[in-house]
Amino acid sequence: MENVLELKNVSKQFGSGHVAVTALHDVNFSITPGQFVTIIGPSGSGKSTFLTIAAGLQTPTSGQVLLNGHDLSAQSEKQRLRDRFAHVGFILQGSNLIPYLTVAEQFKLVDRLTHQKFQREEMRHLLDRLDLSKLENNYPNELSGGERQRVAIAKALFHDPDIVLADEPTASLDSARSFDVVKRLISEAHDLNKAIIMVTHDERLTKDSDAVYRIEDGQMTEF
Amino acid sequence: MYLGLKEMAHEKLRYALLTGVMLLIALVVFILAGLANGLSQGNRLAVDQWHADNVYLNQQANKSIAGSQLTTDVTKSVTADKLAPMNIASTVLRRTGTNKKINVALIGTTKDAFLIPKLLHGRKPTKTNEIIVSQDLWDRGMKLGDKIKLGQLTQTQTVVGSYGHNMYSITPTIYTDLATVAKIQQGNLRPNQALPIAAVVTAGDSKLKNSSNLQKLSMPDFINHLPGYTAEQTTLNAMIYFLFTMSLAIIGIFMYVLVLQKQALFGVLKVEGIGTGYILASVVTQAIIMSTIGVVVGLGLTTLFGAFAPTNMPFALDFPRLIIDAILLVLAATVGALLSGRTIARINPVAAIN
Repeated sequence: MENVLELKNVSKQFGSGHVAVTALHDVNFSITPGQFVTIIGPSGSGKSTFLTIAAGLQTPTSGQVLLNGHDLSAQSEKQRLRDRFAHVGFILQGSNLIPYLTVAEQFKLVDRLTHQKFQREEMRHLLDRLDLSKLENNYPNELSGGERQRVAIAKALFHDPDIVLADEPTASLDSARSFDVVKRLISEAHDLNKAIIMVTHDERLTKDSDAVYRIEDGQMTEF
Repeated sequence: MYLGLKEMAHEKLRYALLTGVMLLIALVVFILAGLANGLSQGNRLAVDQWHADNVYLNQQANKSIAGSQLTTDVTKSVTADKLAPMNIASTVLRRTGTNKKINVALIGTTKDAFLIPKLLHGRKPTKTNEIIVSQDLWDRGMKLGDKIKLGQLTQTQTVVGSYGHNMYSITPTIYTDLATVAKIQQGNLRPNQALPIAAVVTAGDSKLKNSSNLQKLSMPDFINHLPGYTAEQTTLNAMIYFLFTMSLAIIGIFMYVLVLQKQALFGVLKVEGIGTGYILASVVTQAIIMSTIGVVVGLGLTTLFGAFAPTNMPFALDFPRLIIDAILLVLAATVGALLSGRTIARINPVAAIN
């Protein structure tokens, strides 16, 4: 199957000369649709750098990042922004919900930005899958931490992205809720045939992943 | 847009307060503009209603009517389509039988001078000791046939007519003949004396015949040199321009602080692929909405203020000018909000992932 995202010999250095810090060292990585991959590593290991480079938020010092076969570093920043908006879904640590929009409005905003009619049915379908159907008109601060992250998952999956990047999506949750969120991410990946990458430092969350990579000092190894 | 509007709807108090600040600024701008206009009218209305094109003053007068001393002879040095000698004096009016005194500007000219305002009641003065008065005096109870005393003059004056709202030096005006003004200024006149005047006023084309001690002034030039006129107008206008800068600064600073507060959120939006342009547009939309509401409510309150302003306050609304001021205020707020553009552009989405 074709790779959704592929990193080839990617290195990233910050600074230069004797103060240079290597955040990623010769990383190779690939993921196909329907795969749920966990990347694990302690803080400062380079996993955030990996995520920002995979998302096209930063360019690597050397190597190639291919999203759907297109080299991200060959694109303009504007083009990368557009691609990110169209093809990549994000789930961030706290929650990337906008505090002054209701759950439904978070989805509506996405459609506003693409000048299309609000795809209410698609949103309801996603919210139903994640047991959120009654919360459509609530503001983020009226939801529990687990509910917020589930809304973030639904939002990341809205409009059918090719890949979802989850940055420590369980950081603010207790373990029962953490397992629930991971379980849902895995079933979304498998049922909807999405490529999902989750970055975490929590070893316990890796057990049902299709693949687990470990990053330490910028070196990535597959388990 | 959507984002900006939804945020305002959710954070009503915060944005209402900021709108309130804009309203206060707009109110001060409009009231100052009303005062500037009222003072301006109070000084120049009499002059405007001459419908004249030029004024000739004494060359030594430094363009100021207050310093211009001439006599009726000089009218011979000017050729014009229409021409009238004019003299003016500040004095006090007292109605016979009462002790109430009113400050007035006494304008003297010839019987059939073109610069006499259009009458609303009565007729033009035909003989000495007959006067016509402005609406402002009419409103204070003066009527045809009233007997009044002017300054130290012993002769009684009779009101034979009235014309519309007309002011000079923020006082109501009275039209009379040149001799009466001369007597107010000099006491008794010598027999066969050439009457003193301050200016020759002309309409249509006019020119000086030969060398004389006159100086030709256009109407704007003449008005700008009315005693105190330019000083008042520049002071009030400087305050208004300063307030435009203030509205720019206040909206600019508030929006900047709000942007700083929302930096993390904007970082997340950028991660998701929502660009600087959209975020800035929502910030600018908010500034435009707040300033527009503030300015519109301000206009309403100013109109109300105008209706209830004390009559001795020179306050007059000039709506075309208020509309321009209103647009400038909204523009200033927009520019203020745009100043946050650089800060928004600099928010690094990478910082949102950590």
